[in-house]
Amino acid sequence: MAMTSSSQVARLLALVPYLQAHPDADLEQTAQVFHVPARQLVADLKVLWFCGLPGGMPGDLIEVDMDALAEGRIRLDNADFLSRPLRLSVEEAMSLIVALGAIQDMAGSDLAPAVSSARAKLEAVFGANHRIGVSLQAGEEAVRAALAGALGAGQTVRLTYHGASRGSTTHPVVEPASLATRDGYGYLTAWSRDRNDWRTYRLDRVSEVTLMSDPVGDHGEPPALGSGWLDDRPEAARVVVDVTPAGRWIVEYHPTVAVEERDDGITRVQLLVADPAWLRRLLLRLGPAVVRVDPPQAARSAIEAAREALDGQGRGGDVEDA
Amino acid sequence: MNLTICLLMARRFVEREQIREMVTGYHGLSDAAFERTFERDKDELRALGVPVETGSNSTLFPDELGYRIRRRDFELPEIDFSPAELAALGVASSVWDDARREGDAVTALAKLRAAGLDPDVERVAGFAPSVAAREPAFESLWRATVAARPVTFVYKGVARVVEPWRLLSHHGAWYLIGYDRTRAAGRSFKVSRIDGVPSTASGQVSAPDPAEVARHVASLAAKRDKEAIVAVRDGAAHELVRFAEPVTVDVPAGFSGWRIKTSSDAGEIASYGSDVIVLEPASLVAAVTAHLEAVASWR
Repeated sequence: MAMTSSSQVARLLALVPYLQAHPDADLEQTAQVFHVPARQLVADLKVLWFCGLPGGMPGDLIEVDMDALAEGRIRLDNADFLSRPLRLSVEEAMSLIVALGAIQDMAGSDLAPAVSSARAKLEAVFGANHRIGVSLQAGEEAVRAALAGALGAGQTVRLTYHGASRGSTTHPVVEPASLATRDGYGYLTAWSRDRNDWRTYRLDRVSEVTLMSDPVGDHGEPPALGSGWLDDRPEAARVVVDVTPAGRWIVEYHPTVAVEERDDGITRVQLLVADPAWLRRLLLRLGPAVVRVDPPQAARSAIEAAREALDGQGRGGDVEDA
Repeated sequence: MNLTICLLMARRFVEREQIREMVTGYHGLSDAAFERTFERDKDELRALGVPVETGSNSTLFPDELGYRIRRRDFELPEIDFSPAELAALGVASSVWDDARREGDAVTALAKLRAAGLDPDVERVAGFAPSVAAREPAFESLWRATVAARPVTFVYKGVARVVEPWRLLSHHGAWYLIGYDRTRAAGRSFKVSRIDGVPSTASGQVSAPDPAEVARHVASLAAKRDKEAIVAVRDGAAHELVRFAEPVTVDVPAGFSGWRIKTSSDAGEIASYGSDVIVLEPASLVAAVTAHLEAVASWR
């Protein structure tokens, strides 16, 4: 059994009132509520079986209907003395309060008022504390509202999307499947009609959502948003970039394979690169902070882009309306 | 568990010897083993948030100590959540991409469900926000910030003692803002740059000046306080021109003129390559040109 006895006691103290509030509960469903496997729950119930009023008379014990349990139902008797759950601990309440704060920005207009009032009610009981907060980059309210509406109605949309790596604007027609956040950014997962595959779109790069009349098709479950883009790109190439302290920030902003701090103050960063345009922009941005790129040809595109840009700088005329 | 039930059932203080007799789990233990087990159980209960009170029922013999749990200190108070609020709490309980926070949020939701408050998860299908906390220093900073306790850690090679004011996630990275006793000033710290795991320090957290906290919070966002006039290739560099004001300037074909807010980092504009041409101010033109020349000279 992986659980320690103290977390088991904590669970039992919530389980007993839960089972009284949910008579004839389903074993699998209850296990999901408590995020434990069903066999752990059965073990918990066997512990309960031996608990009860001190004194040890048979009628004083909590009764678990073992026949019903074998059929996946939980029936509990003689546990009336424990009908209310424990208070939330400060840690537990804060975990919910901070999470509510984090989803406030992402919630559509249907959910947002409930998010803030639920938070206010928790804070009224467990203490208001704004010491911990999460801010997300989730784009414009109108974009999120339109997408949430399309999701609810099962409608296809046309996005005006500004891809980062290519710096260009596209107008993909997509079937929205879910809104999610990862690493501080909001994303739309949708079925792309152009690509005939699932795609994710960063919400702050969507500037317009046009509702279309056709309903969405059935494409099965959308893939879960990975914990980082590294997970999704097995075909990516490894590139090593040596940077001076001025370029060390990339370690915190981009997923890395390996980071080595060298004695000479240089940081050697190993990146997985799936999109050459992304690497080109990163190198252009770092500029003089880059000491070395390996393999050297990985930098070729950035060098060419810099030369092209230098030709262009100076092509602008005088400012007439400054 | 049996100790909890025993103490919950009793309306009065229960003496230690009575507990030993009543709780089946304590039968057959030696005096020393009973003492150890009883103390451990009491500590566990307190850690779970079940306060065990010590006191006496008798005014005549106040030395006869007993134990009890006061139900109202221990039970979840009635909170009236609407179905929409419960749906929001259901989403909130699944937000954390961090084992400890997720565990706490799941337990919290299980307790609410135990009080008969069941969220309807179908209501919020297709909405799956997530907040990660992968920084090794996060857990102890979370605890210290919640409990308002000073912490000590090594940052940029210097050992600091910091009174936490705020722990904030900005664009996916956690920051601690607090009073740095070592530097005798308010400071913000990027949690990922803290070496090792912070430990608690002595003393109190002094109340911060709200204006100073606000200043540090604002500094987490990139400072775009420089104004510039740029020519941007149509349809490109959307992030740069999104909140910009169009200006009428002489630009190459296929470009438009914009007045933008930018940071003092020339790399931001250089990263757009030939899609963005700086027109003004001259200092930024020079900085971007120098930046691009550095890249063009790589071999």
